Amino acid sequence: MKASDNQPEFAVKLNDESCSKCALCYSACPFEAIRKEAETGKLFLEIEKCQACAICYSSCPAKAIDIVYYDMSSLARYLENARDEYRSGSLVIACKGSTPSFEDVGKLFGISEFIPLSVPCVGRIPAEVLLEAISTMGIKAIYILACDEDYCRFERGSLITRLRVVAVNALLEQLGYGKEVIRFKQRSLKVKADRNKCISCGNCVFYCPYSAAKLEEGAATFDLELCRGCGLCVTLCPALALDLEDWEEERISTLISKLSREKTRPNILVMRCQWAVFPELDEEFDSSVHIIDMPCAGRVDPLHILEAFRQGIDGVLIAACHEEDCGSKRGSKEAQRLTTALKKTLSQIGLEERLHFCSVAPRYPESFREELCRFKERIESIPSQEVRR
Amino acid sequence: MIVTAQKPLDEILDFLSPYSSILITGCDGCTQPPRGLREARTLAQLLELGGKLRRKDFNFKVMTMPKQCDSYLTAAALQPQIEDMEAILSLACGLGAQTIAQVLPHVPVFPAQDTLFMGAEIREDSTLEERCAACGDCLLAMTGGICPIARCAKSLLNGPCGGSQHGKCEIDPEKDCAWDLIIKRLEKLGRLAALDEIHPPRNFGEVMRPGRVKG
Repeated sequence: MKASDNQPEFAVKLNDESCSKCALCYSACPFEAIRKEAETGKLFLEIEKCQACAICYSSCPAKAIDIVYYDMSSLARYLENARDEYRSGSLVIACKGSTPSFEDVGKLFGISEFIPLSVPCVGRIPAEVLLEAISTMGIKAIYILACDEDYCRFERGSLITRLRVVAVNALLEQLGYGKEVIRFKQRSLKVKADRNKCISCGNCVFYCPYSAAKLEEGAATFDLELCRGCGLCVTLCPALALDLEDWEEERISTLISKLSREKTRPNILVMRCQWAVFPELDEEFDSSVHIIDMPCAGRVDPLHILEAFRQGIDGVLIAACHEEDCGSKRGSKEAQRLTTALKKTLSQIGLEERLHFCSVAPRYPESFREELCRFKERIESIPSQEVRR
Repeated sequence: MIVTAQKPLDEILDFLSPYSSILITGCDGCTQPPRGLREARTLAQLLELGGKLRRKDFNFKVMTMPKQCDSYLTAAALQPQIEDMEAILSLACGLGAQTIAQVLPHVPVFPAQDTLFMGAEIREDSTLEERCAACGDCLLAMTGGICPIARCAKSLLNGPCGGSQHGKCEIDPEKDCAWDLIIKRLEKLGRLAALDEIHPPRNFGEVMRPGRVKG
């Protein structure tokens, strides 16, 4: 595996030639990453501020913005292939934030067979893709699952999509495709607390970036309106009294056990923040790399890392957002602190080289692959370990 | 709270080496981070990994209890868990390990922790700091709520000494001079006169060691 040579340096690019200077991107960007020159109306992207949410891309009427992840042609390609693979006319587009797995999404919409499409924020899907899927690609119904608007990682992605769906539905109805061809739902995943296991240590109260936890009547209680589901409290709960909806401790453990059974060598596990790396739709790594997307690096649990080593994983790579990009304020920082502490302990039994923490950002499409290549080389250079079963 | 530090894994593996089935007992009591279920499971996994590297297979069982220094609660918590276990590894402070030794006279118990001191937790700095020496004759009323016995390297009653430099202690520039803190705080409170009062020498025999309270 090697980093590809033809990948652009940045995930988003504004094209001057086709830009009509309407400045919709400028108004839509949640991160003020697009600057407008007062005199000429020319638009500039400040890549350092860009979070690669692609809300600019999906809003641009002139198609003057290029993106690396989930652009229209790769979405069309995906749908083309998926239609044959899933043999269904229903398409479910879900934000990763609200849907780490599609297990119960069907139930939510009352459908059993569908084409799943997981994206980092549904706000990146242009109206044209929805229209084309219905009008030319044989999709009969689209179901969109976004995060609740107040908890959208990209602030406006869920809201913009809700409005977009209303407009596209009206258009489809006029064109004779029927009422509400696109169904839209929102949900957010929250902490689950077991009062009986709580030991009132106050760790969750101290660490919660959103002040959602309180100690009340001898146990931690959570204000779910404030909880944004980052999972940091779960990772730091000494009593294992907390869990996170759809990212349950047990679900991650089961996934690790399954991946550990693959008999590749080296066997590398990557636990990455779902906002730090946006997989391309056709993302492929060689068979030795196993990936688990996490809600935030703050939910990367030292217990899961140890489980992986114990079950024969040769190396664990943690990919987090840069501290200043972290959507849950301190998740990335705490993940780094916990990894450093665990490496120190692992050094006592000579395993520290097998764990690595890196900070990456989707705005630099190659940064994750480069880190992964380096890590894999390092793991390959370590003589085979005794702990392997 | 009682501040502890985990012993090196090699040391723990050494004393566990004659045994295979080992019960790791956490304590939800006063250490920070609490050495409860999470720590017990973490240590079990680390020792299992460390054991494999020594070609030794352990069978660990993990549990936790509210207060390992309470003989009654500890005996009750251990009773249903101890069957078939050859040894116990305690994650509690020295008190917890000794309580287990007392309530289970026939099972060897080993400490996973070194017990360091009684400390206060300053969360914002991620620091645990020794602030009480359990001297048995509390001076805090006179010293503005700052203990010179625990926090002055010399336990001076009439500080600061000449080693106080810019508010720090000469033995460790990371540590505050307790007497500098005391004087500044009393000044702020307008209670500096509290230090003018002449006190008789302290009774260091207030607690006869080893300490014991019955009742």
